[in-house]
Amino acid sequence: MIQTLANWILSFDILSGMGYPIAWGLSLFIVAALIFVFVALNALVLVYIERKVSAFMQVRLGPMRVGKFGLLQTVADALKLLQKEDIIPEKADKALFTIGPWTILVASVATFAAIPFSDTLLAADMNIGLFYVVSISSIVVLGIVMAGWASNNKWSLYGAMRSAAQIISYEIPVGITLISVVAVVGSLNLQTIIQAQGGAGNLFHWIPIPVPNWFIFHSPFLFMATFVYLIGGTAEINRTPFDIPESESELVAGFMTEFSGLRWALFFLSEYANATLVAFILTIIFLGGWQSPFVNYSSAQIALSIFSVIAVIWTVFVRMKSGRLSIYPLGLSILAAISAWLFPGFAVWLASPGIFWILAKVAGIIFLLMWFRWTFPRLRVDQLMYISWKVVLPLAILNLMGVAIWMWLTGEIQF
Amino acid sequence: MSYFSNISNAVSTLIDGMKVTMGYFVRPRENVTLQYPDEVWPIPERNIGVGELDSYNTIRSKLHVNMDDCIGCKACERACPVDCIHIDTYRAAPDQDLGVTSNGTKIKLLTANFIIDMSECMFCDLCTPPCPEDCIEMTPDYQFIGNDNLNTDVTPEERWRDRDHLIYQFSKVPEEERQRLKAEAEEAAKAKALAMAAKKAAAEKAAEKTAPPSGEAAKEVASETSTEATTEPESIVRMEDIQFATPDQEKITSDAAEEKPAAPEESSDTAAKDTPMADEQTEKPDPEAETGTESSRDKDSNNG
Repeated sequence: MIQTLANWILSFDILSGMGYPIAWGLSLFIVAALIFVFVALNALVLVYIERKVSAFMQVRLGPMRVGKFGLLQTVADALKLLQKEDIIPEKADKALFTIGPWTILVASVATFAAIPFSDTLLAADMNIGLFYVVSISSIVVLGIVMAGWASNNKWSLYGAMRSAAQIISYEIPVGITLISVVAVVGSLNLQTIIQAQGGAGNLFHWIPIPVPNWFIFHSPFLFMATFVYLIGGTAEINRTPFDIPESESELVAGFMTEFSGLRWALFFLSEYANATLVAFILTIIFLGGWQSPFVNYSSAQIALSIFSVIAVIWTVFVRMKSGRLSIYPLGLSILAAISAWLFPGFAVWLASPGIFWILAKVAGIIFLLMWFRWTFPRLRVDQLMYISWKVVLPLAILNLMGVAIWMWLTGEIQF
Repeated sequence: MSYFSNISNAVSTLIDGMKVTMGYFVRPRENVTLQYPDEVWPIPERNIGVGELDSYNTIRSKLHVNMDDCIGCKACERACPVDCIHIDTYRAAPDQDLGVTSNGTKIKLLTANFIIDMSECMFCDLCTPPCPEDCIEMTPDYQFIGNDNLNTDVTPEERWRDRDHLIYQFSKVPEEERQRLKAEAEEAAKAKALAMAAKKAAAEKAAEKTAPPSGEAAKEVASETSTEATTEPESIVRMEDIQFATPDQEKITSDAAEEKPAAPEESSDTAAKDTPMADEQTEKPDPEAETGTESSRDKDSNNG
C-alpha cells in the first residue's frame, strides 16, 4: 500500500520532482497517521457504543445529554481528559511512569500495520504477519508492568503482576490455537490465510450444509479453536470476565490507579485498540477476513430470503410469547432481501469481498465482547489460572492434534 | 467426571446469563430513567383537606405571597413555628393611599419587608390559615434551584453554605425606600427613647426631692440589690454543677455502691434482703449515665 501511495503521489506533475525516497517516506507517514486516526476514532465510537450497550442491557438510557442521544459524549470526555492536569506522583519512577502508557499505545497501534482491511488495503504485507501481530501485541504487557511498577502503589503493582501472569498464561493456548490454523494453511501471511478461506463447501467437510469455506466451519476442532481463541483473546485484552488486572472492586483501578488526564486516555485508547485487534485477528483467522459469506449473487439472494423468513417466524413467535419485541431488525432483513432481489447490483456487491465484510464481522465480535462484559462476573485469580492451564490449554493442544488427524482423514494432506 | 460436568455446567450457565442480557437488550420496554430537567414526575392530585379545610389540598412546597392583598397584619409571622417569616410594617403617610385588597379591606400599613427564608421553612402550612386575606399560600412548585436570587458575590467553594438564594423577598417596596423608612423609624425610636429617658430622669428628680435618703441607707440598699443579683443565678449555677460535675458524682455513687454491699452483710443475715439492695444499686447510676451521654451528645454536636 505504501508503494502504491508513493507511486500515486509521484504521478502528479507538481509532486513528481521530489523523488521516490521522499515520496515513500511521505506515504509512510500518511499511512501511519491514517492508522492512528482509525484507532483513535475507533476508540471514540466504541466507548459510546459500549456505554449504550451496557445501558440497554441494564434497562437504562446511557449518555443522553451531550448532543442528540448523547452522540458527542465521548468527544466531550476526550476534550476534558486532554485539559486535565498532568499529575506524576512524587515517589513515582518518573521515566517509566511517562514511558509506560506510550509503550502500550505504540504496541497496540503498531499491530494494525499488518491487519488487512481488504485484498489491497493493508499497510505492510508481511510473510510473517501473524507472528508479527502476536509478538508486537505482547509488548502491551511490558507497558502494563512498567506503569504498575512506576506508580509506586500497591494496587498498581498488584494489577501489573496479575496482568503479567494472566497474559503469559493465555499466550500459550492462543499461540497453539493460531498454530493449528497455520498448520491448515501452511503460511503465516494474513492475506494468504484469508485467501485460503474463499469459496463454499460442506460443513465440516462431510455434513451436507452449504457454508462458506471459513476455518470455523473447517472441522469440529477448528470450531472449538474459535472459542478457545475468543476466551484467550478476551483474557489477553483484560476485558471483563478476565479483568482482574484492573478489577475496580478489588484494586481501585489496577495499574491505572495513579494515572489521570492524557496518560489515562492513552490507556483507554489502547484498551479499545486491543479489543478491536482481537476481533480483527479472530475474523481473519477463523471468519474469512474480508471474504463475503455469499459465494455468488444468487446465493446472497437466497440466503437473505431464508434469513428474513426465519426472522419473521422468530419475531411472530416471540411477540406471541412475550408480547414485546423490536420489529426493526425484522424490517431491515426483509428490506435487504427484497432489495437483493430487485437490484442485482446490490446482491453482487454483497457477494463480493471487501472492507465492508471485515468491518461487519469485527463489529459483531466487538459486540460479542461487550455482551460478555455486561453479562459475566469477574473470575477469581485462581479460577483464571485454572481455566487457562487446565481447561483451555488441553483443549488447544487437542485441537492442534485433532486438526492434523482431520486433514489426514479428509485427504487434504498425505503422508 | 466432575471435571467435564463442571465445564458443561459453566458453559450452560454462561449461555443462560447471555440470554437474559440479550433479552433486555432486544426488547423495547418502558423506560425507567427520568430525564429530569426535561421530564418531571406528575404531582399527584390528591385532596388532604376535608370540609372547611378544602384549601388544604395542594402539595406543600414553595410559599408564595400575593402582596396586592397583604395588609401587614403579621398573623403568618406569629403563626410560624420556626420563625422563617420576617415582616416590617410602617404606618402609611396621611396622604398616602395604599389601595384596597380583593376582599375590600383597606390597606393601612406599608409592608416594607416581607422575607421568607425557605431554608428554614418546614412546610407545615400553619401560616396560611390565619391569613385574613388569603394572600399567603403554599404552591406546588418544589424546584428551588435557579439563578433568580443567587448571590454572585460568593465563590463556588462557599456556595454550599450560602443560603441567600433561598431567602425570598416579597415586598414590592424598593430598596432605597425601605432603607429610608428604616432610618426614619430608628430616628423616631431614638427620639422616643430620649424623650422617655428625659421623662424618667425628671420623675426621679422629683422623687429625690420629695424623699431624700441618707448616704448609708443608699449604700445598704445598693449592697442588698447586689447580693440579690448574685443570689439570683444560684439556680443556674446549680444546674451547671449537675451538668458538669457528673464524673465526680459518678465516683461518689460508685464509692457508695462499693461500700453499701458490705453494710447489709454485717447488719442482716438474710440473703433475701441482698437482692433488692443490689437492684437499687444497679438502678441508681442510670440517671448519671444518662446525663453523661447527654453531655457527650452535646460535645458531639459542638464538634459537628
